[in-house]
Amino acid sequence: MEAHVREVLAKSPADYTEIRWEEVDRSRVAFQRDQLMALERSREAGGIVRVLVGGAWGVAVFTDPDDLPRKVEEATQLARAAARHVRDPIRLAEVPPVQDRFFPELKIDFREVPLEEKRRLAEGYNKIILNFAPEIVSTAVRYTDSLRRLIYANSQGTYIEQAIPDVTVLLLAVARKNGDIQQAFESIGEAGGYEIAQARGELAEAAAKRAVDLLSAKPVKGGRYTVVLDQELAGVFIHEAFGHICEADFLLKNEPMRKVMELGKRFGVEALNVVDDGYIPGARGNVPYDDEGVPRKKVYLIKEGVLSGLMHSRATAEKTGMEPTGNARAVSWEHEPIVRMRNTYIEPGEASFEELIAGVDHGIYAKGAFGGQTEFEQFTFSAGYAYEIVGGEIGDMLRDVVLTGNVFQTLRNIDLIADDFQLKGGAGGCGKYSQSPLPVTDGAPHVRIRDVIIGGR
Amino acid sequence: MGILERAAAAAQSAELYEELSEGIGVTFRGGEIEKASSQTVLGRALRVIAGGRLGFASTAGEDEEKLVEAALTSANHGDPAPFGFPPLRTGAQVEVLDEEVLSISPDELISWGEEAVRAIREEFPDVIVDASLSRGTVEVRIENTSGGELRERRSYLSMGIETQWIREGDIYLLWVGRSVRRKADLSPEALTAEALRYLRWGERVVPAPQGTPLVLFSPKGAFVLLLPLIVGFSGLSVVMGTSPLRGRLGEQVFDPRFNLVDDGTLPYAPSSRSFDDEGVPTSCLPLVEEGVAKNFFYDLRAAALAEAESTGSGIRGGVLRGSGFRSPPSPSVRNIVVQPGEGSLEDLIAEMREGIVVADVLGLGQGNIQSGAFSNNVSAGFVVKDGKVVGRLKNTMIAGNVYEVLKDGLKAIGGEPEWVYGTAYVPPILVDGVSVVAR
Repeated sequence: MEAHVREVLAKSPADYTEIRWEEVDRSRVAFQRDQLMALERSREAGGIVRVLVGGAWGVAVFTDPDDLPRKVEEATQLARAAARHVRDPIRLAEVPPVQDRFFPELKIDFREVPLEEKRRLAEGYNKIILNFAPEIVSTAVRYTDSLRRLIYANSQGTYIEQAIPDVTVLLLAVARKNGDIQQAFESIGEAGGYEIAQARGELAEAAAKRAVDLLSAKPVKGGRYTVVLDQELAGVFIHEAFGHICEADFLLKNEPMRKVMELGKRFGVEALNVVDDGYIPGARGNVPYDDEGVPRKKVYLIKEGVLSGLMHSRATAEKTGMEPTGNARAVSWEHEPIVRMRNTYIEPGEASFEELIAGVDHGIYAKGAFGGQTEFEQFTFSAGYAYEIVGGEIGDMLRDVVLTGNVFQTLRNIDLIADDFQLKGGAGGCGKYSQSPLPVTDGAPHVRIRDVIIGGR
Repeated sequence: MGILERAAAAAQSAELYEELSEGIGVTFRGGEIEKASSQTVLGRALRVIAGGRLGFASTAGEDEEKLVEAALTSANHGDPAPFGFPPLRTGAQVEVLDEEVLSISPDELISWGEEAVRAIREEFPDVIVDASLSRGTVEVRIENTSGGELRERRSYLSMGIETQWIREGDIYLLWVGRSVRRKADLSPEALTAEALRYLRWGERVVPAPQGTPLVLFSPKGAFVLLLPLIVGFSGLSVVMGTSPLRGRLGEQVFDPRFNLVDDGTLPYAPSSRSFDDEGVPTSCLPLVEEGVAKNFFYDLRAAALAEAESTGSGIRGGVLRGSGFRSPPSPSVRNIVVQPGEGSLEDLIAEMREGIVVADVLGLGQGNIQSGAFSNNVSAGFVVKDGKVVGRLKNTMIAGNVYEVLKDGLKAIGGEPEWVYGTAYVPPILVDGVSVVAR
């Protein structure tokens, strides 16, 4: 493939050309209640060509490797059609060409583990949940692994081969009593080998117990509360509410938004530091080289409460006069890279968890995350479960806790940051435009926020 | 020897699904074309039943031998197949291919996008406009060892417009879109007009009423109410015991004015098809008639477990239609259609007098939707006073339970339905019993 790719690149008529060819090995086991819904080990391959002509992108996606020369031609023609309408041409920030090969060591290579063994593992977790209590009516237990082997090359002399592993386990329990249905889940996601999925029975049990407990939890009463977020939910918050607006492709042709996101603006308290990092050993969001062949950089998005950096592709970096950060990622060979997060986290503060809770007269301790969504300043995300805080103490369990707000106000309302940092890669992933689920990791310590809106009756 | 023959040589029965997607698209950012793209993607999925056990594997761009081997390995460690592959018979042909879509050029897509940008910028010069347009075909071929082969080429054409209105202390973001199969069904002007209407309504921010005001869901907003029902009427949720509708067919579950069908046969509708992804003919399936729950929808597996018949609802990729070939079929709606009543969105606004309009939300599907609960941030919503829209609301959450709201809270179902999310045809719906909390 290497010789073929280099030869096609050399002949491309476009101003700039890049080729990515990807081979994926993946397996998947899924149980729902007593049903084996998926048991699969598959391979696939596909490619994408992206060219720049006259300041416009042309892209062609294909599955037949023999099509490559024709696809470069096709992408070039598409870019030419677009370029006739361009007034503000796209340019790429300069980066030194890279020649590298990067293959991580896997402790237990999941490609060597028989499908039968993966089935046994998932089935074991499924049984733990099903047998936990009579209230458990259903489950969703899923194991996935994948190894993406990528060849990336561009017409500026970069040639990279790298492999990106990913292993996830989802353990979801559904409990039912008198027509009321509640669910709870635990999940794991890491860039590593099969060992990540093993010996997780206690998580299956925790999910089952919580689903049953939620049946007798009180629905939250809607209103404004002081909220303490656990590490997982605080991580989802910083990813959803803040991380996305630091993706500089939003600002590319958007002058007003560039003003909103001016570096140096104060966004929060002095103790608030937010980072997006391209490599932490074992983390799901790891991208040694991004899908534009740019090596990873660690970016401080907020330093001591002040906006200090954004995440960039080569195009957004050029536009804003910054350095590319290695954040141009594509979820698969079917897509071109766009600016995405990797491992995004709030750095630990100095307060203790007890201090966070003790200062709250009437509030909510929200834990775990069912997901979230953001549209610039508006965000929403749901807690997996929660507890009342009354008179500085944790009280009864609550359910249906969905938080919403304006990110700028909410960041300013963070008043205490604990010292108990945790990094969490779940079994899902991040979605943007039509590219989902992209493996990412979120992290944070416990965080306290004043004046958060909680939906509910 | 073809893939199916190879598989059949080693298994009792087999099914091959092939999906070829071909198309082009253009993307505008900040009012200007940024990218033009194309794709030619051939994906395959093979299911086998070997030794009575079901196996599955999928691939793209890989050789045939590996696919057969992978499916057989899966069957080797799989569970007994609860169903068999049905003989494939060509039934009634649903109209799903518009040749005119195929000849739409990148230049034509670009010109539609540029016109939308121009019209919006003319009235709102400070608004940032992004847009995406695409057209193409998905050709599906299914063959199995019970005999027969089905093939269908389906066209699609879609356009989305996103506007960002950024002023001091306020960011107003709006997304409108359409996905159709026929060129004549896409009106870029109508889509632009929809964006302009919501921009005009949203010029001013006003305080939202709190408590349980009347809530008018626009067609797109009304998907908040439909999503829990899509989960609840799934034969798989019923079999798994997670649907609140289990054991309630024939019961008056909703207001008598509420009628819902799942129709795969509507000519040129965005999710129409002659057969589902397991080769079972699609149908028009009533889910709710005059408020009474009538049917659940099934794929082959869920039908076998429930001792029912497949309703032709075995779809690969689920409600939001991801890359189909990678996932085994599961029960999903085709086109879910709420029977319209009378009156436009404006008529209902005049009728409701006071309340809010929900045109779009964040966090669709988050929370405990299996129980019917919804809880969403209103990303595009408006305040109604004296029968008129007086401005846009912000920092507001709605919450409720569909099974309560559509039973005791239904006030009116409007006329003028629209296609939303490429799968639902919904009129505006006016309800009470939705809790509204705002800052």
